[in-house]
Amino acid sequence: MLHNSLYIHIPFCVRKCRYCDFNSIVSESKKIGRYLHAIEKELSVLNGRYVFNTVYIGGGTPSILTEVQLEKLLHSVIRYIPSSEIQEYTVEANPGTLTVNKIGLLKEYMVNRISLGVQSFQDSQLKYLGRIHSSNDAGNAFVSLRKAGFKNINVDLIFGSPEQSLDDWEKDLKTVVELGPDHISTYALTYEEGTSLTRDLEDASIHKLDEYVELEMYKTSIRYLTSNGYNHYEISNFAKYGYECAHNHAYWKNIGYVGIGAGAYSFIDGVRTSNEKDVFKYIDGINENKNVISFREKLELNQFASETVVMALRLRQGISNTDFYERFGYTIEDQFGEQMNRLAKYGLVSYENERLKLTEKGLFVADTVMTEFI
Amino acid sequence: MSTGSIRNFCIIAHIDHGKSTLADRLLEKTHTITSREFRNQMLDDMDLERERGITIKASAVALKLVREGKEYNLNLIDTPGHVDFSYEVSRSLGACEGALLLVDASQGVEAQTVANAYLAMELNLAIIPVISKIDLPNSRPDDVLNEMEKTLGIAPEEALMVSAKTGKGIDEIFDAVIKRIPPPKGNPNAPLRSLIFDSIYDEYRGVVVYLRVFDGSVKVGDEIYMMKTNSSFKVEEVGIFKPKMVVKASLSAGEVGYCIANIKSLHDVKVGDTVTHNRDRTAEALPGYRPPMAMVYCGIYPTNNADFHLLREALERLSLNDSSFTFEPETSQALGFGFRCGFLGLLHMEIVQERLERESNINIVQTAPNVTYEILKINKEIIKVDNPEKVPPVGEIEEFREPMVRASFILPTEYLGAIMQLAEGRRGRYKSTEYLSEKRAILIYELPLAEIIFDFFDKMKSATRGYGTLDYDFIGYETADLVKLDIFVASKRVDALSTIVHRKDADIKGRKLVKKLKNEISRHLFEVVLQAAIGSRIIARESIRPIAKNVTAKCYGGDITRKRKLLEKQKEGKKRMKSIGNVEIPQKAFLSVLSVDE
Ligand code: SF4
Repeated sequence: MLHNSLYIHIPFCVRKCRYCDFNSIVSESKKIGRYLHAIEKELSVLNGRYVFNTVYIGGGTPSILTEVQLEKLLHSVIRYIPSSEIQEYTVEANPGTLTVNKIGLLKEYMVNRISLGVQSFQDSQLKYLGRIHSSNDAGNAFVSLRKAGFKNINVDLIFGSPEQSLDDWEKDLKTVVELGPDHISTYALTYEEGTSLTRDLEDASIHKLDEYVELEMYKTSIRYLTSNGYNHYEISNFAKYGYECAHNHAYWKNIGYVGIGAGAYSFIDGVRTSNEKDVFKYIDGINENKNVISFREKLELNQFASETVVMALRLRQGISNTDFYERFGYTIEDQFGEQMNRLAKYGLVSYENERLKLTEKGLFVADTVMTEFI
Repeated sequence: MSTGSIRNFCIIAHIDHGKSTLADRLLEKTHTITSREFRNQMLDDMDLERERGITIKASAVALKLVREGKEYNLNLIDTPGHVDFSYEVSRSLGACEGALLLVDASQGVEAQTVANAYLAMELNLAIIPVISKIDLPNSRPDDVLNEMEKTLGIAPEEALMVSAKTGKGIDEIFDAVIKRIPPPKGNPNAPLRSLIFDSIYDEYRGVVVYLRVFDGSVKVGDEIYMMKTNSSFKVEEVGIFKPKMVVKASLSAGEVGYCIANIKSLHDVKVGDTVTHNRDRTAEALPGYRPPMAMVYCGIYPTNNADFHLLREALERLSLNDSSFTFEPETSQALGFGFRCGFLGLLHMEIVQERLERESNINIVQTAPNVTYEILKINKEIIKVDNPEKVPPVGEIEEFREPMVRASFILPTEYLGAIMQLAEGRRGRYKSTEYLSEKRAILIYELPLAEIIFDFFDKMKSATRGYGTLDYDFIGYETADLVKLDIFVASKRVDALSTIVHRKDADIKGRKLVKKLKNEISRHLFEVVLQAAIGSRIIARESIRPIAKNVTAKCYGGDITRKRKLLEKQKEGKKRMKSIGNVEIPQKAFLSVLSVDE
């Protein structure tokens, strides 16, 4: 099996955003240094064992690192990973912490894709979401990246927050198209357990946006971005031709990947593992040469197959029966024939030319459709 | 042993009037249990009973008491305190010569207590009135004595004042038991004549038969004969309850105990049957009891049809321990294969259902309970209908009849209006009011059983702030203008949601029901239309709008496990639902028929 994608997790942020349940903490610079040391140690174990075509440094906020720390991290990557094979090398950046010097370092160490966490072009929205940067910061960061020669930039946007109107969102879409990144991710705001946003929802100090407005926002994104040269290739992802994110395809296709850092997931030869999530336990574990894996599961064949279908349905191209057959030794219909027929009757999935995919109608209720394949 | 030293008695009391605490004290005082063994409410052996604070099965315990140098053997036989179990009460009474009539000094006489006390009087039991909880600040023993006199004709000076908590009056109870309750009469030398007043099933030993010996004696090795079931068994063990089973050489006239005789199933034993010796049979059987009548029925179905056999096994296991619970296979178009189950009442139904869930791992769907109707067909045939589905077409019905009960409420007079309103709203027919004192009264209504099987008891309790009590007796069938109300979900009639209602309530009930269902059925990928109909006439319609957006546009990174778990959780939720057509209906929806009032 392929395992050609490497993920490195940087679990630090300046401040916790209101909606965020990612594995990230607010921490002082000294501790970040100790963490990077642990990352290097974990990377060193990989030395030569795998060849990676994509590398993705995400978080948290990788751009929170000082220049010295960033250079150390980028250096450890090229030290242990054969760089000639890397085709896509992404680093996530927050407009509030990205400086011209850091951009220079990224460029120098052959990072060729930047994912910019913009979320909104409206300061009131940014404030509502608890972001640390302004809309201007985002524009400036983008321009600096282009100036430094980055040809593949993604912009993340969030829609559906309680105080956003359809009009607000349309403006964001317009602005992003004018800016012209090569890839755009539009995420619907979700209410995750334990976030301050969810607490506010529970004590009814805020109220969810109307479902139909949210749906309209989503539809508008698809309509607007598609008509402006962005291919809607995954539920929440749009790209100019040839700029689809290669790294994330490892997840959507449920093929192998290796994760480094606190809480990072790996999927190697059908076994999924994740590292210790707690940053300090992770650091101590690595330093004491202990096994830091805190979760491990080996999927049964049919479980693996069902998960693969669910993930692949996120892709607009869906899943090919031939690929499925080659991987699992039976056809999609063998396992899911009944569901496929039923869902097709409702016009939620289509099965044509040996490809199973969501219809547009199915797209909007993808989660409900997916439960049928679990 | 001479019968002169034996006293067999029970305690008649309302729930919470302190019966268990009193029983505990009696056990303690007679050193029947050591303090180490002592647990609160010794006599209730099932967990469920302890949780609900009531006693379901009659149990028995033998107490040894020394008075004035003489040793006495007292047998305390427990009685249940809920209206559903009045049948079981009559079982325990039949094994006794006397009863303690326990009444709470602050709450006063309650409806079931009165009913059970009358039962005891009919059986000529000696009654010892006991006023309990006299230590409580709000006790009003004089009023209560008055009420007892009014309701039961008991002279105030007969009553004993007791506080089981402090132990005050316990000795007087023992004295009264010895002096006022006659020793059993029987002849130890006559042929064996004994009454089965209860039985339980023990996984290892088979059936344990609870016996009250009236004449003769029984010992290990005896060949016994059961007169009604016409079967014989060889006795393996006899003994008494202390309250654990303690082996004895024999049980003879007047004694209460158990007998184990390699009996495989509770169905081989009939409570109320007379046990005698096979060779030397008694000439005359004991009167026994009338069998319990299932009053309330509901369908129980496995959510997953494949669990049908597991469900059957589980029901069989339950019925082993509870002969008043009945079940029979039935099929529903909507729910598939399941069982129609009969219960003594609502509480009984709840208890069985809880045990089913606790003791087996099957997801079940339960339909709304209903009573047994009688239908006189045009061709003069009378049929019993215990499931709305069995109602014949309108054209074949000449008369629809429903079971009626005579309900007596004992309550503070200030709540008379509230209860009258409640009863009128349930098609009740006012009969009478009788004042027990300035403050309390007995109110009598005739009500359709169907109207009180669900939430009536709770409603009555809340309307009287917990002070009202209710007892009812079945009085017969009566013609009523009833119709069958059908429910359609996505144009499919769901038989399990059909109910029988009074014609004048049908429209309102239909409207409320579809509204309620609308809230209980979650949104689907398509519009779900709900309709209520009588015959071919649609009387109400609601629709559930489809899910518009349900897509997590979020990046989980490599944490696909989490995504899968989320989806699995959603899917698990669906598993507990019954899928009819393509609509998933949660268990709760099947019961929503019941509570359309809210
Ligand atoms: S910057 Fe990203 S990872 Fe950090 S708190 Fe905000 S949303 Fe979470």
